[in-house]
Amino acid sequence: MSPQPGEIALRAIELRKDYPMNGETVHALRGVSLEVRRGEYVAIVGPSGSGKSTLLQLLGGLDEPSAGSVLVDGVALAGLDDRTLTRLRLTRLGFVFQRFHLLPVLTAIENVELPLSEAGVSRAERRARALELLGYVGLAERAAHRATQLSGGEMQRVAIARALANRPAVILADEPTGELDAATGRSMLELFRRLNQDGTTLVVITHDEHLAAEAGRVVHMLDGRIAVGRQG
Amino acid sequence: MTWWRNLLRHPLRSALAVAGITVTTAMLLDMVLLGGGLERSFERLLLGRGYQIRVSPSGTLPFDTETTIPGAAALRLGLEADPEVTGVAPVLGASVFARAGDTLVAVFAYGIDPEVQAIYQPLSGSDLAAGDSLGVLLSAPAAARLGMAPGDTLVLVGRLDPQLATAAIERRLVVRGVARLLYDSRGQLSLVALLPVVQSLAGLREEDRVSAFVVRARSDDQADAVTARLRSAHPGIEVNSVTDMVRHFRERLVYFRQLSYILGSISLVVTVLLVTTLMTITVNERLGEIATLRAIGVSRATVVRSVMLEGATLTVVGGGLGIVLGLATARYLDAILTTFPGLPAAISFFVPEPDRLLLAGVVLFLAGVGAGVYPAIIAARAPIADTLRAEAT
Amino acid sequence: MVLAALALARHSQAGQEPVPVALERRLAERLGAWAGDTIRVALEAGGAGQLVVVAAVYEPTPDPASVTRRDLTLRFHLPDLAALLGTPDRVNRFGIVLHPGVSPDDAAGDLNRVAFGFRAAPSAAIAGESSQTFRVVSRFHSAIAIIAVGASAIFLLCIMLLKVEERRRDAAVMRFIGVRPRTIFVALLLEALLVAGLGSVIGVLLAAAAAAMTNWYYQGLFDTALTFASITPGILRFSILVSLVLGVGAGALAARRLVRTNPHVLWGRG
Repeated sequence: MSPQPGEIALRAIELRKDYPMNGETVHALRGVSLEVRRGEYVAIVGPSGSGKSTLLQLLGGLDEPSAGSVLVDGVALAGLDDRTLTRLRLTRLGFVFQRFHLLPVLTAIENVELPLSEAGVSRAERRARALELLGYVGLAERAAHRATQLSGGEMQRVAIARALANRPAVILADEPTGELDAATGRSMLELFRRLNQDGTTLVVITHDEHLAAEAGRVVHMLDGRIAVGRQG
Repeated sequence: MTWWRNLLRHPLRSALAVAGITVTTAMLLDMVLLGGGLERSFERLLLGRGYQIRVSPSGTLPFDTETTIPGAAALRLGLEADPEVTGVAPVLGASVFARAGDTLVAVFAYGIDPEVQAIYQPLSGSDLAAGDSLGVLLSAPAAARLGMAPGDTLVLVGRLDPQLATAAIERRLVVRGVARLLYDSRGQLSLVALLPVVQSLAGLREEDRVSAFVVRARSDDQADAVTARLRSAHPGIEVNSVTDMVRHFRERLVYFRQLSYILGSISLVVTVLLVTTLMTITVNERLGEIATLRAIGVSRATVVRSVMLEGATLTVVGGGLGIVLGLATARYLDAILTTFPGLPAAISFFVPEPDRLLLAGVVLFLAGVGAGVYPAIIAARAPIADTLRAEAT
Repeated sequence: MVLAALALARHSQAGQEPVPVALERRLAERLGAWAGDTIRVALEAGGAGQLVVVAAVYEPTPDPASVTRRDLTLRFHLPDLAALLGTPDRVNRFGIVLHPGVSPDDAAGDLNRVAFGFRAAPSAAIAGESSQTFRVVSRFHSAIAIIAVGASAIFLLCIMLLKVEERRRDAAVMRFIGVRPRTIFVALLLEALLVAGLGSVIGVLLAAAAAAMTNWYYQGLFDTALTFASITPGILRFSILVSLVLGVGAGALAARRLVRTNPHVLWGRG
């Protein structure tokens, strides 16, 4: 049973994350609760060290919280074994990283096909879906180029296409314009806007005011806490 | 789909790894062949004519010393008395001289009974017939050295007296044919004549002496039991089955066996070290990529499979080339070792039998897969969040 | 080979004075017979033979030709052995001492011209023949060594290449902060030299330990004082030279590649 628009796609309850560092404990998150509804576009902003990336990693099941819980589509991540959690990341979550993290040995289309292949989609089907997604992000003609032959903006578009491959419930993006020049960053804003208009739920960490301004809701973080939330 | 492209990412590195694995595999293969080939080759030589038991003077192995057994006819009857014995072939080996113009050429003479012989295969001309006390067969090197062919007459001289400058005995024999002497070393000058002829030439006729008996049991399965019976029935002589002979041979050539084990093990260790080191460094370099793959939902199993496949591919490619190189070097090394003085020319140190090749292949493949385990564990255990965080800084 | 069978008899027989013999140490141990003991020596197993008295036990000169044969030897005075064999006035060979200045080859040639039933050969030629086995083994070892050196060289090249490539990011950082490529190259080269040098020293120590173990094992196995493995100065020089040249060469090659690469590519943002 798939969730309907307006339902909670992602929920964080009293998340805490502590790291040991040089013999001391760093409190990266000090009790963060957040709900993201289906179809919502949330920007998380705040100064460096405020806990934004840590929050995103906990929301994406990349790390375990010291306390609190995360629910994706109503499924609590705590207690899931590695296999189930990995499967959940593959099918329900999409990741976009600041530094793209494409596999340099693969072409653009092969990078997009990777999560489809892992999900067991047939060769013909995944090729068609990857081409469709590359067309969606405006890179159909660059499909056969190696990742290393693409510009920064193109690499980020491929990364977005890859994140969309298995039709995730939420896309989590960590500074998606951080490595891009201003013009490319602006084109990325439009892509994110279009993504959201087409129904994709977005949680974006950013320092980019323009990108944050596009969001339906902006969450400000400071010292591991949500300082204030603003409805866009 | 990434594993083989990852190998091409650092072509020099991969090429060096493949080259290293090729050489170590060649060494491993050679050592595996050396480890068992010599014994098999020797066993095959001993069993070539179907005789499974050797009888020699007490405390010796056949033709290992000049010692002989007296009273051969009586002992032969005693050996034949065993119901499982189907053939007893007496052999006497002695040095004689052949006249070649004005000179005397030292030749090793085998005295045999043509009805039961286990030491040669006729090559050309005719075989010795029972009772043919005027006939002689020459080894190919002897025929060439003496310039003789079937039909020629050969003068053999035995027991020279240097003080009187005379020979105690001289026999004129007709060359019947040329034979391949199974136990001869490369280029050895030798001949085969009837046992009484060689006994006379060597001065051993009176005591009816032979160097050894070669005994055939009804079946190979019975050989060890027959050996044990003959041993207890004739305590004054040495009775060995082919198994015993191979064991003695193995003891004498223990060095090669141990060398093969040591060098084979070192080759394996080097192969494993090479693949493990290479893969570990490669995996460490790619930890960010691996963390990304894990983040986007690629399973641990896929990551591990990819790393193991890279290691296995290096090993299979290097191993395949190594087997070709190993077979070539085995031939070269065999050519060196078979020049051992006194070693039967039919013995080979490196016998490329399918089961040995398979053993080398399986050991190598397991080593390659094993070598990928450690880097695969590193890849599988890479903490996703920490690695991505480290990559971002 | 005289010794067909030996039977230990600790009593002496009256009427026949036992002749003296010398036993090699391993044979004495096998028989449990020591100086003063009397033993029976026969040509055939079970033969009557004769009694001899052990006059001495000696350690034979280590002989590589017979090390794996484990032949056991006892020595008679020549007439005593000839009497036992029943072949009086018969010998296997004579050793001949020449006057100073006489060429052994010429003397052997002269003897062979008048010889009947024997052959004269200079000692050097006999030594050459009898050392054929070791020449074969030596050639075999050399061939194996070529393969081993080849494998080690490739391994060394690979490791040094990886060792330098491991420093990609360090090199990138140094380039970012303005360090000259030449300085980075020299630093990496020195590091390669250090690693190769240190590796050589450890390798030599390991080899010395392996040689000691080999000697200990085979000397025990064959009960001999022969040396089976020794690290000669030539081998030492060759090994160190090869490892240094290959190590530094590979280090230089990899360092050159590294300093010629764009620092952004080194850092991973290419």
